[in-house]
Amino acid sequence: MKQQNLTKTLNPAVQFLINYAVPIIFSILVAIAIPLSGLPGDYLVREIMTRLTRNSFIILSLLIPVMAGMGMNFSIVLGAMAGEIGLIFITDWQIVGISGMLLAMLISTPLAILLGYFGGIVLNRAKGREMVTGFMLAFLMNGIYQLVVLYGMGNIIPISNSDILLPREYGIRNAIDLVGVRGALDKLISLKVGGLLIPVVTLLVIAALCMFIIWFKKTMLGQEIRSVGQDNNVAKISGINVGNTRVLSIIISTVLACYGQIIFLQNIGTMNTYNSHEQVGVFAIAALLVGGASVKKATVPNVFVGVILFHTMFIVSPRAGKALIGQAQLGEYFRVFVSYGVIAFSLALYAWRARVEKENDRRKAMVLKREILQSTNPAGGE
Amino acid sequence: MISITLVVALILIGIFLYTTGKEHKILIDNKNFKVGEVAYNTNATYKIWIDNQEIGLLEEDERGVAMVAGASHKIVIEEMKDKVLTGEKYEKKFKLKTNERATINIPAMINDINEWIDKIN
Repeated sequence: MKQQNLTKTLNPAVQFLINYAVPIIFSILVAIAIPLSGLPGDYLVREIMTRLTRNSFIILSLLIPVMAGMGMNFSIVLGAMAGEIGLIFITDWQIVGISGMLLAMLISTPLAILLGYFGGIVLNRAKGREMVTGFMLAFLMNGIYQLVVLYGMGNIIPISNSDILLPREYGIRNAIDLVGVRGALDKLISLKVGGLLIPVVTLLVIAALCMFIIWFKKTMLGQEIRSVGQDNNVAKISGINVGNTRVLSIIISTVLACYGQIIFLQNIGTMNTYNSHEQVGVFAIAALLVGGASVKKATVPNVFVGVILFHTMFIVSPRAGKALIGQAQLGEYFRVFVSYGVIAFSLALYAWRARVEKENDRRKAMVLKREILQSTNPAGGE
Repeated sequence: MISITLVVALILIGIFLYTTGKEHKILIDNKNFKVGEVAYNTNATYKIWIDNQEIGLLEEDERGVAMVAGASHKIVIEEMKDKVLTGEKYEKKFKLKTNERATINIPAMINDINEWIDKIN
């Protein structure tokens, strides 16, 4: 029976279904939920466009650690925190518009590099368990972030804008109105096609990052990162400093996540100081996995397929939940359930596939060995 | 050497972004104004633009508020009579340092008085 199951996986059609199980399931769910929600098509397209420009950058930041064989980088939350600190400062200094956004990126870059370096070092000590370590690291840094923002800002770090300070005169308020940078990038150049507002510059920035990632793969460092991702030992023998390469890939990912969070928040227009970054990692990773990526392989198209499928589900699920059960709240719970569920399902699927492939390889090797033995010693078996 | 140049360049870019993005509060008064013994009285409604952005209408004895970003600005006002723009425009350019706010008086601005703008730190 087991023999049969394992051979089945060699069938290309079954292989395809296994490889793309998550996007296929999601496509079916979306196809069912859209008519149930009753949302008009133009509204849906508008919402998807907004979410595409809002989320793509931060999801793209996950690709390089996957290339380095470090799996999904849950520690992008560290980059998101760095971006938020940059936004707190520019709100305090009252720097507005695109200048404000760029200044936020500039001042948060060193912090993101530092956090990325720290994250890389920690993940290097936990080889093979990077994802769970990244997840816990995000919790640790969240505690430190809260300490700094809640007690350090206004006390040790000078903050003068009373609009963002708590009434006790130290610590930052729960919500910050980013009115100065709201839509700074999205509205820089925008095209109106029908009822759809297309944020040209944001899309160009995302396209530039895609080009960068494709170009980066072909560079010396990109090749080294890929080698490390394929086999640490082979890379080490080839003279690549595996540890440094892994740290570098996490630094790049953290810095990109920092910029991604700034782009995300300028689109939203308000910042929940203490929890805007909390779900960033989970939602970005869930979207990437929904797009057909795995822990070992993630590409640029996975990002866009993922954003469209995952966020369409987000848009339609409350209304679909209401139509099905009569409660919109259930649809909201469904979002969180889906996010965590997709990650768990993809990881389980990945582990199962890896086991099957390993078993197949072992069987193939055994068959090959038997054939070699038979050809060298035809009478051996008798 | 390259790293030092890069750091210096980033600091300079930071200063440039700070200067060009710094928000300033500007109060615009359409109120009577007195310099020494001479009084400049307001007698019309004006439409205001700062940096090509419409601020709105200011009637007699009214004060308007505008938030602007950057160091160099241009204010344009146009007189209104019987709710119709007369085409009579007045234009002034001004600069603000990073921590400055300003109060602009329209009658003083129309009469080209030096004190038309009061910059406060």
